[in-house]
Amino acid sequence: MQNKKRMPLARTALALAVLAAPALAAEPDGETIIRNNCLACHSETGDAEAPFSRISEQRKTPEGWLMTINRMQELRGAQISTEDKRALVQYLADNQGLAPQESESYRYLLEQDTNLVETGVEEGLGQMCARCHSAARFSLQRRTEDEWKRLVEFHMGQFPTIELHSLARDRAWYEIASNETAVELGQKFPLITPEWNSWKAAPKADLTGRWRVLGYVPGKGEFTAWMNASKSETGYQLQLEGQYTDGTQLAGRGTARVYTGYEWRASIEIDGVKMRQVMAANDEGSAMEGRMFSTEAREIGGELMAVRDRGEAEVVAVMPSHLRLGESAELTIVGQHLDGDVSLGEGVEIEKVIERDGDSIRVLAKASGSAGARTVSVGDASRDQALAVYDSLARVEVSPANALSRIGGNGGEMAKMRTVYRAVGYAAGADGEAGTDDDLRLGYMPATWSIAPADEVAAHDKDEKYAGMIDAAGIFTPGDAGPNPERKMSANNVGRLKVVASVSDGGSEVSGEGSLLVAPQDFVRRVLD
Amino acid sequence: MKHLKSLNKKAKLINQAVSPEEVEDVVAMQTVVGCTATTDPGWELDPFGGLGSLCQPMESDIYGCADACWWPAQVPDTANTYPDWGDGVAKADKDWRKLEGIFEDGE
Repeated sequence: MQNKKRMPLARTALALAVLAAPALAAEPDGETIIRNNCLACHSETGDAEAPFSRISEQRKTPEGWLMTINRMQELRGAQISTEDKRALVQYLADNQGLAPQESESYRYLLEQDTNLVETGVEEGLGQMCARCHSAARFSLQRRTEDEWKRLVEFHMGQFPTIELHSLARDRAWYEIASNETAVELGQKFPLITPEWNSWKAAPKADLTGRWRVLGYVPGKGEFTAWMNASKSETGYQLQLEGQYTDGTQLAGRGTARVYTGYEWRASIEIDGVKMRQVMAANDEGSAMEGRMFSTEAREIGGELMAVRDRGEAEVVAVMPSHLRLGESAELTIVGQHLDGDVSLGEGVEIEKVIERDGDSIRVLAKASGSAGARTVSVGDASRDQALAVYDSLARVEVSPANALSRIGGNGGEMAKMRTVYRAVGYAAGADGEAGTDDDLRLGYMPATWSIAPADEVAAHDKDEKYAGMIDAAGIFTPGDAGPNPERKMSANNVGRLKVVASVSDGGSEVSGEGSLLVAPQDFVRRVLD
Repeated sequence: MKHLKSLNKKAKLINQAVSPEEVEDVVAMQTVVGCTATTDPGWELDPFGGLGSLCQPMESDIYGCADACWWPAQVPDTANTYPDWGDGVAKADKDWRKLEGIFEDGE
């Protein structure tokens, strides 16, 4: 047994970002690596379609395969070199991965964007599986029914008190897990699907080239950039240059690997900070979407999108994405090969073009007419609903609406797990009523941030004093780890808070609130929660 | 519950948690990714969506969680997976800084 308190390469080497490092020579063949490293326990079946016991009966994301191999090293004593492991994750994700349609509902887990309540989880699976880990964790796997049954056996063996927990001891847990849950999973998430058969056979796009990139870095703001991806032995070499909305420059270099033909995983150092990119490319390889986050603190990140330069004019976004009726404001049209007449849609007058080139056009604009979404065009290129013209801000949504922070630091091993907040504005829409289906989304808006106790109990326990604080950029930092002698029974600095965003609009303040739980540490940092 | 009067804080919580909206809120927060819904008594939240019934500070009974493999996704289980976790930290309320993190996301 290799049970150790710490994985051998912990902390210095983190997950797939590091797997993205280019190898010096061509990678060894996946089947050979399996034969050399895995056959002490697994066996060859003689079936060319499913050559290895257990291994051939599953499909997973690259992160899923990495977790599996990590577990084989940690619990089963598997020995494998870093180079072979990188190549094996690549081989397995490419040959036994998930089709884009199979992963699209669960991308938040891959993107480490986990401050959300999972919806649509069937009650039984919620109680039997998502009680301990996310529903996305198993929904991002495909197995034969027998393999799902073996997963139940693994859980029983590894976590023997599993049938004694709440939501387990009230039922015949093991029987239900084996005879009902595993069968249901085998039907819901089977090994063989038409989606995978068709994706496996489809030609995969080469993602080499220049990409117009839009993103958000907490504490710094939104940015636009160009990212150049050139071929390397195992993926791509990356160079990124751009600027934040306040004009500050950003630059970075890194590497990327693409798994399963569309799963973009990059490790990029931007101005000295190690970041990871997790994106999914579309079928044509013309656009990618996902998230970029800090390698050390996965919760510190933001949306990321990239549009490939195909030599054609394209409007990618307008920043900011809203303009109040009757007010003059500066707007930037972001795109590529922008050339020709500029229009911000009906009733929006361009008072002045401040500066323009092929990448962006900065204008002073004033809106009149009716509220609603506008199509923005430059020459022949246009983007629908790129600008929201509105009468007044009706409501503010705090994003994330439900979040989890964790105490940490203070000399302990686990770092504080922070929460990044942003405020999204909405106008009431045609019905004049906020909170209805026709609300007009205005996009992210600058806000002032504060915290308050969630309720009377939280106020009584002074959670707002002990559980943490939020800064001007909307980043909540939880309190210190350890018992706090100032609190009753020396309780930890846990708490339940409301996070309040207040947005100024036309002389009035509109606020919204989110729910934040500040919890004890999670001592087990996993690839996927 | 009609003829019973809740006397202490925990009992009041039970009464409060009966309202349907509150139950919905509790369920919502328990299903934020990373949060366990095994609430006996709970690692992040108790069965009533509060913190009042949690073992606090958690250091006072951390091995009750670890040895019993109660929240293996949050607290290393010493039953099987990390048998040595906590070695040398007999008094976690004093020596909690020595509790090691498990970084399974290494390469």
